[in-house]
Amino acid sequence: MIKLKGLAVMLGWMLLAPPGLAAPICVVDDLEVEVCLDQPAKRIATLSPGATELAFAAGAGDKVVAVVNYSDYPEAALKLPLVGNHTRIDLEALLALKPDLVITWRTGNPPAQMEMLRALGLPMFAIEPRTFEGVSKVIEQLSTLAGTEQEGFAEAERFRKGIAEIAEQYRDAEPVPVFYQVWQTPLMTINDDHLIGKVVQLCGGVNVFGDMPRLVPRISAEVVLEADPHAIITGSVEGIEDNQLDRWKSYTGMTAVAKNNLFFVPASPISRPTPRLLEASRDICERLDVARERE
Amino acid sequence: MTRSLLVLGAISLAALILALAIGSVNIAPSELWKVIQGEGSALHRTLLLDLRLPRTLAAFATGGLLAVAGALMQVLLRNPLADPYVLGLSGGAAVGALLAMLAGMGALLISGFAFAGAMLAMVLVFGLAHGTGSWTASRLLLTGVVVAAGWGAVITLMLAITPSYKLPGMLYWLMGDVSYARTPWPALVVLVLAILVILPLARNMNVLARGPMQAAALGVSVRPLEWTIYVLASLLTATAVTTAGSIGFVGLIVPHMLRLVLGNDQRIILPASALAGGTLLVLADTLARTVIAPEQLPVGVITALLGVPTFLYLLHRSR
Repeated sequence: MIKLKGLAVMLGWMLLAPPGLAAPICVVDDLEVEVCLDQPAKRIATLSPGATELAFAAGAGDKVVAVVNYSDYPEAALKLPLVGNHTRIDLEALLALKPDLVITWRTGNPPAQMEMLRALGLPMFAIEPRTFEGVSKVIEQLSTLAGTEQEGFAEAERFRKGIAEIAEQYRDAEPVPVFYQVWQTPLMTINDDHLIGKVVQLCGGVNVFGDMPRLVPRISAEVVLEADPHAIITGSVEGIEDNQLDRWKSYTGMTAVAKNNLFFVPASPISRPTPRLLEASRDICERLDVARERE
Repeated sequence: MTRSLLVLGAISLAALILALAIGSVNIAPSELWKVIQGEGSALHRTLLLDLRLPRTLAAFATGGLLAVAGALMQVLLRNPLADPYVLGLSGGAAVGALLAMLAGMGALLISGFAFAGAMLAMVLVFGLAHGTGSWTASRLLLTGVVVAAGWGAVITLMLAITPSYKLPGMLYWLMGDVSYARTPWPALVVLVLAILVILPLARNMNVLARGPMQAAALGVSVRPLEWTIYVLASLLTATAVTTAGSIGFVGLIVPHMLRLVLGNDQRIILPASALAGGTLLVLADTLARTVIAPEQLPVGVITALLGVPTFLYLLHRSR
């Protein structure tokens, strides 16, 4: 009798147990730090334009309360409050918006200010995707933290499938030697570890500076002439042709110049680690197809 | 004498309160008082105690350190163009800090390396200035300027080879940024201790200003005094640069501005420099973080924009 009563009391307690004792939400970020929240994030601060896009891609766009300069995609982000530049953040403005999750960019944000935010106890999730799978993973993790798993996982899967399709389509494509120009002065390019380098590889291109040791090498015009790429690509505003590749036009001996393979693609989609890499990849692949036709 | 110091003290206090009240989130003085008493909203407490108070105190300490170091350099070298960085101290500190940033070290190590770099610069110039002849002010100045140029070349080299993503951090350090200071206490303690050490020596410094021969004839032990001034000025500059990077202009202009108003008695000029330098930097930092908020400006830009017209006005009025 007493045992039954004890069992009933225990069952009663279990039924009445407060729902807030759910397990915390934990994910591991790109710095291999475990980030745990007691409940899904409701006020997210994104400290880079890429992070803003990824938050929206994860389905958490309506939870973003603070962004930094150049957070221009999607359009809804343009209306959000600014807290400075990704290299110099207005910490007071950030704190005043009371975020419960801060998405930081490992290489872009200033370490001194990041240490200060950590000391103030704000939950911080660092992103630094270097592969397409890394981009999908970040979207999934952000959607877990924001409680928007349905949208986020769907978007991540859409991205994965899109990349896999392109990979399959260009698996046996003829390799085209490519030079991707990141910046004019100083002359900068990327190696194969960079996401842009991976996009070039995806489309069957061969980055002539792919095995340089630095991620963003600073090179001279001479080595570009020596490498003699068949296509030169750079990013510009909305892919409209501008003067960034004019310096090469005088070197008519270069294969890329002789065949008029100087291409412009929209700069933001290819420079940010976001699902827009899919569109960027299609742009680059189309250009390389043009180059292949002209071989 | 005490009257001018009291006035300067009152102005400093007003500047500090202004700096604590103004920002991306304005806090009324009544709210400030509540936070100091231990109440006030959580946001105001965090903003004030964790962000603004350390930053403002660090700005005050750094400004004071630089102004006093500038005044000491001008006495030591008997040259009105001398500032704390003329002997290459900020260059050495910058090389140390940039090396630490290149190696990816944390903020504490960066400060440590900056301090070590400044100390190395001090010892280097001191040793090189000796030579076979005697240790004169012009020899010291020449050695210092050349070594500073050497440090400048090393800094340029490091900026040229560093990976692009580390550049903004390095450039902001070189421009000077009070927000880097994580704790103001080392700088404040050094400033107070330095003033206490310097004040007894101030009368001898007045005599030294007439020239080493006259000073020696009047009973001042010139060589030890010059070494003391050199080491003190170096320590103050090293502390300032370690706290907030190389902020220019304060060390050069503040002692001159004070001399135009208060005369050239080091017993007044040195403590007044501490107060006035601190005030200037606090006001400049407040402007730097609010004038185009949420964009943040480097404080060195504001000190120059504020200081140049003020100095020209005072100079104009004094003739």
